[in-house]
Amino acid sequence: MTTATQDPAPPAVPADAPAARRRRGGGLGSYLLVRALLIIPTVFILVTAVFFLMRTTGDPITASLGGRLPADQLAERIREAGYDRPLLVQYLDYLGGLLRGDFGTTSTDRRPVTEVLTTYGAATLELAVYGLLVAFVIGIPLGMVAAKVRDRYPDAILRVFAILCYATPVFFAGLLLKLVFSVWLDWLPVAGRISTRGQIQLNRNGAGTGIFLIDAISTGDGDLVVEVLRYAVLPSIALGLLTAGVFLRLVRTNMIGTLGAGYVEAARSRGVSESRLVRKHAYRPALIPIITVIGLQVALVLSGAVLTETTFEWRGLGFQLGQYLQARDFVAVQGIVALLAVIVALTNFVVDVVAALIDPRVRY
Amino acid sequence: MQRRSTRRVLAASAATLTALSVAACGSSDDNGGGGSGDGDSLLIGTSDKVTTIDPAGSYDNGSFAVMNQVYPFLMNTPLGSPDVEPDIAESAEFTSPTEYTVVLKDGLTFANGNELTASDVVFTFERMVAINDPNGPASLLYNMDSVEATDDTTVVFTLKTADDQIFPQILSSPAGPIVDEDVFSADALTSDDDIVAGNAFAGPYVITDYELNTLVSYTANPDYQGLLGAPKTENVDVTYYADASNLKLDIEQGNIDVAFRSLSATDIDDLRGNDDVEVVDGPGGEIRYIVFNFDTQPFGATTAEADPAKALAVRQAVADLIDRQEIADQVYRGTYTPLYSYVPDGLTGAATPLQDMYGDGEGGPDADAAAQALQAAGVQTPVQLSLQYSNDHYGPSSGDEYALIKDQLEATGLFEVDLQTTEWTQYSEDRTADVYPAYQLGWFPDYSDADNYLTPFFLQENFLGNHYDNQQVNDLILQQASTPDADERTELIEQIQDLVAQDLSTVPYLQGAQVAVVRTGVEGVSDTLDASFKFRYGALSAG
Amino acid sequence: MATAAPTPVRRRTWRSLPVVHQLRQSVGLQRGMLVAGLTITGVFVLTAVFAPLLAPYGYGQLRDADGTFGAQQSPSAEHWLGTTVGGYDVLSRVLYGTRTALFVIVVAILLSIVAGVLLGLVSGYLGGWLDRVLVVVADAVYAFPSLLLAIVAAIVISGGQSSLVGGVLAAAISITVVFIPQYFRVVRAETVRIKSEAFVESARVVGTSTWRIMTRHVLRNATRSLPLIVTLNASEAILTLAGLGFLGFGIQPTAAAEWGFDLNRSISDVTSGIWWTSIFPGSAIVLTVLGLTLVGESLNDLADPRLRARRRAADAPPPADVAVTPGGGLAAGTEGVLP
Repeated sequence: MTTATQDPAPPAVPADAPAARRRRGGGLGSYLLVRALLIIPTVFILVTAVFFLMRTTGDPITASLGGRLPADQLAERIREAGYDRPLLVQYLDYLGGLLRGDFGTTSTDRRPVTEVLTTYGAATLELAVYGLLVAFVIGIPLGMVAAKVRDRYPDAILRVFAILCYATPVFFAGLLLKLVFSVWLDWLPVAGRISTRGQIQLNRNGAGTGIFLIDAISTGDGDLVVEVLRYAVLPSIALGLLTAGVFLRLVRTNMIGTLGAGYVEAARSRGVSESRLVRKHAYRPALIPIITVIGLQVALVLSGAVLTETTFEWRGLGFQLGQYLQARDFVAVQGIVALLAVIVALTNFVVDVVAALIDPRVRY
Repeated sequence: MQRRSTRRVLAASAATLTALSVAACGSSDDNGGGGSGDGDSLLIGTSDKVTTIDPAGSYDNGSFAVMNQVYPFLMNTPLGSPDVEPDIAESAEFTSPTEYTVVLKDGLTFANGNELTASDVVFTFERMVAINDPNGPASLLYNMDSVEATDDTTVVFTLKTADDQIFPQILSSPAGPIVDEDVFSADALTSDDDIVAGNAFAGPYVITDYELNTLVSYTANPDYQGLLGAPKTENVDVTYYADASNLKLDIEQGNIDVAFRSLSATDIDDLRGNDDVEVVDGPGGEIRYIVFNFDTQPFGATTAEADPAKALAVRQAVADLIDRQEIADQVYRGTYTPLYSYVPDGLTGAATPLQDMYGDGEGGPDADAAAQALQAAGVQTPVQLSLQYSNDHYGPSSGDEYALIKDQLEATGLFEVDLQTTEWTQYSEDRTADVYPAYQLGWFPDYSDADNYLTPFFLQENFLGNHYDNQQVNDLILQQASTPDADERTELIEQIQDLVAQDLSTVPYLQGAQVAVVRTGVEGVSDTLDASFKFRYGALSAG
Repeated sequence: MATAAPTPVRRRTWRSLPVVHQLRQSVGLQRGMLVAGLTITGVFVLTAVFAPLLAPYGYGQLRDADGTFGAQQSPSAEHWLGTTVGGYDVLSRVLYGTRTALFVIVVAILLSIVAGVLLGLVSGYLGGWLDRVLVVVADAVYAFPSLLLAIVAAIVISGGQSSLVGGVLAAAISITVVFIPQYFRVVRAETVRIKSEAFVESARVVGTSTWRIMTRHVLRNATRSLPLIVTLNASEAILTLAGLGFLGFGIQPTAAAEWGFDLNRSISDVTSGIWWTSIFPGSAIVLTVLGLTLVGESLNDLADPRLRARRRAADAPPPADVAVTPGGGLAAGTEGVLP
């Protein structure tokens, strides 16, 4: 690396952006292809890292039976389960399974990881969608309002509200929401996705999608649909508020940007009313970046989901990940992390595509 | 114009929020379908965790709790007693020193219609040993040499050591649930879904709906002819919680009828003052104790200043100084009680040697006694003691528990405690590798016999691995295990406790109570909160 | 070259220091928000420094001359904010908690700045495949949920020991991993831009060390956007530390005072009507993050000519193409996407 100063002098990066695009040359198609292909090594790196990191943290047998069995019996069981084999052998074994599409079987509750992923993935998806809906409903209108009244008191209040939204840890917000709406007012259930009886009803209705709202609708029982929604309210708000703060800020920033843009000024000088300006001229362009940001919020939503799901016992990937981590269930943790990595990488990719389609200047 | 547009935006968000809160209040009065009042069904909440309901594949309280409802045992404990009796057996006895013969009742069937015969019993035990799952309880069958069916209803167990008084208890332990040979696989674990689909149950209840760690729905099994009798409640649903505070809120609000295991001490304390619910306490089998590593503790065998007398004095001083009542009150709000011996209260053979030998003689701490013990052995004070605890295995209160113990030891100036914690898997490896001089452990019994509190701990090759070795104790433990006379055996058990209390291989200090919380009107909980430590849903009724 | 730690050369007065400059530049409400943020942050730092003087008891103290405090005692003259379920003084633990938080912030920021700046310089300067790989890796890591990394890091780094150093490092390092890409992004973009500037070319012709020129100019320009990232980095560090504590991977009470841990332990208090054990540590987290974020957002607004309250001709090109949203979200380049 000390050769840095002996610059082999490749064609220096030209000063202006268009030229840069020409140099990177490959065109949109090959750029996207490279981005798509890069998902594979990205996921591979994360899975590998998690594989080896998890192995340094103990094994599931000790985690469950360390307080019950003598050391020699424990060692015997660990040997039987194959956790004493060289790490590399275990790793190649795991990779071999992955290539065959076999994600393994969880070591604590012995379920195929693919089953774990689909069951709990559906729950997380459902919560994420609700959360994003709440974020939209709160964040976007308030952001527009804030932009219109910029630098006046309502703006300051809205902005502090936005900051409070993401300054409050999800679990603290969850605790307060539970206290108010479940304990004091007794309006909403404390935790879970559905009541026990409702769950039984869903189970008897046959294999569902795992997305309870859809499953409940398919039973045709209106009460069940309402119940599923009632259980979803608090977790959705807790998760949604987190993202709503980000949306509010982004919408405000972008609205202010577009309201000051040349063509809006031109329209204004033509005598177009201010509210029409907001609606017709500034609103849509301001939303484009928001749409791309939604994709990028996936990481935030997933992070938030771990805590939200844990607080509200929403049995999704985040909740299960916490449980499996405690139990040192390597296989399950690897599977979940791999899936999350794929989701994040894919959404990033989609966001890149959208961004590139909207604005050809965007390139790495 | 501008204002109107703003208003419209606000109105839109208000409308959505209203929609959410309409959904919120829509059916607030029925509380999501739970609650009491239905005489024929109960909703139970628990924070237990199930590994699998295949008996060969799990060795934990949560899974065993399910098995106790749906599988029959050869031997079982009747309600209210820790001692075992034949369950689906007609008789069970030693027919020779190494032969234990069990005769099944006639006409037993599984809920799926399959006959339950001696062949199923043999299958059950051979399968468990053959699979020998890393997470399974096969190791409890350490004394079983072979098992054989001599006819359709007779099973003969051949044992390795003669007159094993523990074996009947083992048959009631997690190694004992009888399974259907037509549904279960002989050489691999059977999945929960297959078990439920095969309806391979012959216990008091059968499972009708099952969602791992989310819900189990039980219906009474009309074909059950065992010791426990017909369940009082036809339908029982169990719902699983990961967070005990959610469990507490649901029992408080009447969304569930019974909450069993494990509410926090704060929650229980709070619920005691609530008229809508009743907090029921029963004896608990769980104990907490400090283990001393005889090699690495202060003045231990491999330390620079090895001196058995001084090492003993250090242990005695700890036993003198711990204020068990204070820990039980401050940290556990009475959900744990002071423990002064190795065999906890409620079991046959329980005693209180540590109360008589240490502290003020009435259970309280005594700083003078501790100082005297140390001085007599010539130990320089303050003694540097490194104490370890697990912050993630024995509940979130362990941190408070050990902070208080550190505080109690240091308050007299006799000790300087270096308190550390390590996450559980590392902890489990370290403790048997002589890394910790003194450390926290807890124990929950496999079966309700005093032996289960002695053999695993104080035999020469024990699970503590703390290098404690007392030949006399060793011999007495082996002797009591094969003493058929109950009184004679109890005497031996008390004698063992006295001896260990003098040596202080461990210092026991707390015994956990079983605490169930029920909505007012639910009856029968106190019947099943006994020293068998098995919670039977069949004993409960909605009143 | 990794050892050639660049020292930024500043020939500017204190008035042009990052935060001071923006403070002078701001007006009206924007200034109000910045000042509020700076005040809260200042109080936070001062509390951390003087915690032993301010706190009536130690963070791990269970008894005084009169015996043990008792658990869950409601606020009183002896314990202004009551005691926790473990029998600790709430006020003392909230005050000492600032120390742990500050500790994590400092370690996290130092680590990410050093690593991020170095990688950014190298990547931007060398270009080629290394650059591309680093950009992709940075994207991947940045997008990954930080808390998940933190949990795994917590178990691995501390080796299971829930000590002060282990817990702090776990939170700090996992935050570092997630924040390196942000510094990396800024520095790299700046490097790529400056690398092609005429004066660098001419310097190269003359034979001056390009590397020195680069680091100097890159860092000077990057200081405009770095304060924003630093504040976001800091708030994220606090939230992650609290999240770890809440999930039970935190620091034990006898090792240090940590708000997330106290919140975790207070869950059952909340449902039993014991409010003082959760409200105060919870509010401490919210306030601290609020203060830091107010500073960060104000700096961001002031750096962006479109958002600045009173328009002024920008005396410098707008900062490198970054826009960072707090809470771990990323809005890279989105503001540049505008038509």
